[in-house]
Amino acid sequence: MTVSAHQDQGAPLHELRNVMMRFGGVVAVDNLTMAIPKGSVHGLIGPNGAGKTTVINLITGMFFPTEGTIHFAGKRTDGKQPHEIAALGISRTYQNVRLFSGMSALEQVMTGCYLNRDSSLFQSFLGMPIARANWRRVREKAMHLLERVSMADRADELAETLSYGEQRRIEIARALGSDPQLLLLDEPAAGMNQSEAREIGKLVHELCDAGLTVLMVEHNMSMVTEFCQSCTVINFGRLLITGDAATCLADPEVQAAYFGRKKHA
Amino acid sequence: MEMLLDFWAAYSSTVVFAMVNSFIALSMYAVLSAGILSFTTIVFAAIGGFMAAQMIAGAGLPISVAIMGAGLAGLAASVLLAPLFLRLETHWMALASLALVLITRVVVLNAPALTGGVNGMLVPVRVGVMEMAIWLALVALVFYRLHHSWYGLATRAVREDPSVAATMGISTWRIQFIAFAISGAVGGIGGAGMAVTLQFISADTYFLGAAFTMIASTVLGGSFHWFGPIVGAFIFTALPTLMQSIVPSIQDVAKGVVLLVIMIYLPRGLVDPRARKLRKAARERQTLRDHHAPLEPSHDTILPGKTSKEAKA
Repeated sequence: MTVSAHQDQGAPLHELRNVMMRFGGVVAVDNLTMAIPKGSVHGLIGPNGAGKTTVINLITGMFFPTEGTIHFAGKRTDGKQPHEIAALGISRTYQNVRLFSGMSALEQVMTGCYLNRDSSLFQSFLGMPIARANWRRVREKAMHLLERVSMADRADELAETLSYGEQRRIEIARALGSDPQLLLLDEPAAGMNQSEAREIGKLVHELCDAGLTVLMVEHNMSMVTEFCQSCTVINFGRLLITGDAATCLADPEVQAAYFGRKKHA
Repeated sequence: MEMLLDFWAAYSSTVVFAMVNSFIALSMYAVLSAGILSFTTIVFAAIGGFMAAQMIAGAGLPISVAIMGAGLAGLAASVLLAPLFLRLETHWMALASLALVLITRVVVLNAPALTGGVNGMLVPVRVGVMEMAIWLALVALVFYRLHHSWYGLATRAVREDPSVAATMGISTWRIQFIAFAISGAVGGIGGAGMAVTLQFISADTYFLGAAFTMIASTVLGGSFHWFGPIVGAFIFTALPTLMQSIVPSIQDVAKGVVLLVIMIYLPRGLVDPRARKLRKAARERQTLRDHHAPLEPSHDTILPGKTSKEAKA
């Protein structure tokens, strides 16, 4: 998809409008406006402590914004509970992989399919035929998702026994279980080597081609230039610039904020 | 054969007590499995116990009806309490539940019309081993089904990480509310079980002693699988009796010592599905290493220490 293609599109899938987030005296997000175009991979970048993860937490309803509004697919989501926002079609992964201890890879992904279970908790408890059929269907779906992240052969293994890169992939499969419209990836390539990172990038593009919109928080600049069509750069919780990835990264202000701090980057 | 009968005569009451304690431990497990540490089980047990005592001694109803009534009373109490308790953060909830146990004692002592007050209540009938076993089997079946249903999967998620579970669309409040309801019903049944085995109940029956048994059984057996609390309750109930027949002198400290040993060496309890899976994984890795030595360089580049160590070996 070219840059001009998604600029032609109508309303963005997700929008933050003048969002302010204060923790006591600290302003983590300062009057931020951001739009995620539908069907694109949008990058959210900025130096450490810029407020990127706070933005993700605001989108998923972990925090309620102090001011401003959040819109998803035409609905206001600020003030909604995290599980309600998940039900609207937003899913996420975590910067520091948060899988459930004691669950196998398959169980993790099945838990991610909770919204897709199609039978009530009570039907499932009674073991009614319809609930059993749905359970089997979800199991197959979860296996299919594990295949997508090439983890199907490890389905029955405890997630904590897997390597970090494998855990990240399981987390992505789990996030896809609810068939989200918007997937938030918080540094999906952190702690991965270049080839693993590229694999994740390719997977993200495949998902995007299938109609998913992705917001990717990323530190790895080559990932951003290679896989994001557009991006938003923030620093100290404030918007620096937003637009297509190449323009953003070439911006002198961005260069100063980013590379001025991280010499090795 | 005669020996067996003698043994049964001597220990059948221990078995019944163990089953009763299983209900109490399962009631605590019901909330613990959804990430809530709460002592409200004791309150539900008290409500169920006095309810059953009134139904039997006052209204002359059969034991099974009284146990059912006690379960419903516990359920009703928990459904009323849960919305209040779920407003609190976990540790405050634990403290609040402890406060409620203290309040319950005072209420029991000051409501002689319902509970016999300081004199307690006599229960004229005693439950049979078989009947108690059937009730326990029924409750265990419920826990078995819960464990293998969406509710079970959701509770494990909520317990391990409630905020992650929420972003999966799982309503923590709803899951924990259901957990409270189950805890209430099972706690009520346990309380009735105490009434029809002890045959005398008072404010002290549903107080710190019962709370200690409940926690110890759950810790001992393990709180990560429904079978754990049952195993824990049986061991914990049988232990003093066993100790008395082997070394009577240490009977009093035996409970405490066993509890300490378990907490230090098996902090997740005797029944631990995660430990079992980890052992299985370790075994599989071992056989893999035996069959495919030398190990191919893996993709685990995140663990350079591991590969270099293997390279040296």
